Amino acid sequence: MSVKYQSQKLAEYFYAFAVVLFLVQVLVGIIAAVQFMWPDFFILNFNIIRSLHINALVVWLLVGFMGATYYVVSEESETEIWNLPLAKLQFWATVVTITAVVLGYIWMGLNPQANSPIMGINPLNEGREYIEAPRWADVLIVISVLLFIFINFMTVLKTKKWTGIQGVLLVGLVFLALMYLPGMFYSKSMVKDQFWWWWVVHLWVEGSWEIIAGALLAFMLMKTIGAKREVVEKWMYIEVGLVMFTGILGTGHHYYWIGTPGYWLWVGGIFSSLEPIPLLFMVWDAFRTTREHRNVSNKVGLFYAVAHAIFNFVGAGLWGVIHTLPQVNKWTHGTQITTAHGHLAFYGAYVLLVMAMIYVTLPSIRGVKEFNSSRAYQSFWWLTISMVLIVMTITGAGMVQVYMERLMGLDYVAVKANYNLWFWIFRAIFGVGFLIGVSIFVIDFFKLGKGPASEVTEVAAAPERA
Amino acid sequence: MSNKAARNLFIFGSLFFFLIFLGLTFDTMGKLDGRAPEITEQIDAGKKVWHKYDCIGCHTIFGNGSYFAPDLTKTTENKPKGYLKQFLMDPRSANPKAAMPKLGIRSDEADDLIVFLGWISKVDTNGWPPKPILAAAAGVAGQELTDGQKLYRSLGCSACHVINGIGGTTGPELTRVGARHDREWLVGHFKDPQAYVPNSAMQKVEAPDGDIEKLTDYMLTLK
Repeated sequence: MSVKYQSQKLAEYFYAFAVVLFLVQVLVGIIAAVQFMWPDFFILNFNIIRSLHINALVVWLLVGFMGATYYVVSEESETEIWNLPLAKLQFWATVVTITAVVLGYIWMGLNPQANSPIMGINPLNEGREYIEAPRWADVLIVISVLLFIFINFMTVLKTKKWTGIQGVLLVGLVFLALMYLPGMFYSKSMVKDQFWWWWVVHLWVEGSWEIIAGALLAFMLMKTIGAKREVVEKWMYIEVGLVMFTGILGTGHHYYWIGTPGYWLWVGGIFSSLEPIPLLFMVWDAFRTTREHRNVSNKVGLFYAVAHAIFNFVGAGLWGVIHTLPQVNKWTHGTQITTAHGHLAFYGAYVLLVMAMIYVTLPSIRGVKEFNSSRAYQSFWWLTISMVLIVMTITGAGMVQVYMERLMGLDYVAVKANYNLWFWIFRAIFGVGFLIGVSIFVIDFFKLGKGPASEVTEVAAAPERA
Repeated sequence: MSNKAARNLFIFGSLFFFLIFLGLTFDTMGKLDGRAPEITEQIDAGKKVWHKYDCIGCHTIFGNGSYFAPDLTKTTENKPKGYLKQFLMDPRSANPKAAMPKLGIRSDEADDLIVFLGWISKVDTNGWPPKPILAAAAGVAGQELTDGQKLYRSLGCSACHVINGIGGTTGPELTRVGARHDREWLVGHFKDPQAYVPNSAMQKVEAPDGDIEKLTDYMLTLK
């Protein structure tokens, strides 16, 4: 079975770039983990390594969404992508921009003075977490995203099949593009700086990205088990609706301690406590739909999609809600508890989502009916077990830190260097386990459907359901 | 519920909550300037230094950042400015065990950055970071403090020095300092640290001779 529309193969370009960046992200992540024990370990300082770690993450997920979107919109609109050469240009422009940004970070790491402002603007690194990319790159990224949205919008207009899935997907993408803008101006006040910065960071990962996740989950449930469109789309609307009702005002949980008025403690505390509810809905939805349909056409794709729903709830939902109330957050804010939440949330909500989309769509892009899925399961267990153990060690480190630094009043450096040392050692070891998982996945991505099929095979493409 | 109803709930519900969010944002923007001191040219210059060296790539500020190095929200309240400046320009000259590398921060940049961090420390953060419960409790209850112990607290020595596990790690640990130095050395060092330890980042203890004697008495009990 191959793709219905040749231009859907474009998705593979984006996936390939995403997968390579995933590998880079985890490699620098291990360097960062070693620097927790040995700060002088590498030629680049921790701040540069960490910028690379978190930027590679955001970009590879974003690029993965782009590939998935081109595939889904073409499939849902039942037509070829509008202007394929322009879409390819958008891909290569993105690759060039991202590469230039990465080289800039490395240059700054070797010579911090290279980031001296030119006409008031830092040329290599904006010095703001997650949105370190300099202003010129911001502009290019916005142009690329707008071009990407425009191409998909034009594809939809070719046949005007406004399905719920692609409607919600495009709403999520437009929201994503809009929410990049509050990070693109300078504030003299650090309070206002962080206030608008959270619009970008929170309303991406707990807003627009979750909308995209809801739409892609619905698409995958249809493709892997032939679930009925009517039903999955209704639940999708309810899920993404609840994400927005809780997530928008849930931004308040970042406005407790940055110099903003006290009413945010109420707004943030109440609404962010409700944020796990839609994520639990998605888990229930995935299980219910799976149980109702016995005819599984892409087992490993479904496996990843359900795993995504579960770990989205555990990582983003549970690991977030434990420290979201102001009474708790007062003590845990700014500690390793946040790092633990960040790791499990990104892994569950978005890493598994993009991997699931790759396993759902790649077989038909490669034109294979059957493929060996043993590597896909192997990499899943290496990744998931390693990540759970990483999160356990960081959570442990965070608990020790909260007790010793925040409650007992010990010095930050004493806690980090002495009492948490073993947590850092184990975290680095589990990081290597995660790297093994990523390596298996990268090999599988490039080999899937290209070698001879062995015994463990399965049918790749979805049966058509009218 | 029909699909159309679910879709409308999503669209109009989201817009409703976004409008509330916009309203709260508008209200907050009007209140922020009243919750922090006025921003001078130098504070703004310091903020730009903060961005230039990507300080947030290791540190946190208001608890947000990279969790790799200490939070700097209250750092100017806890550490002497002279120490901070020496540390910023050459961390390991001020504290040989420092993890921070020498980034090439210039003298004027260090001054601006310290003024910026001073502004940060005065922002009304709804009481964050909280005072440690156990350390605060130990100062209220427990045995009567000696004059030297009281001076050790009131002069803020524990911002940089550790005694019995409590205190900052930027200066040498003092748990057994009485075994290392005699009275003459300690008194002289308090009055002029650099005369005893070349390039020391410690500030002179600005206190009457009587107080310095009492502080020295306390130090000599630490063996």
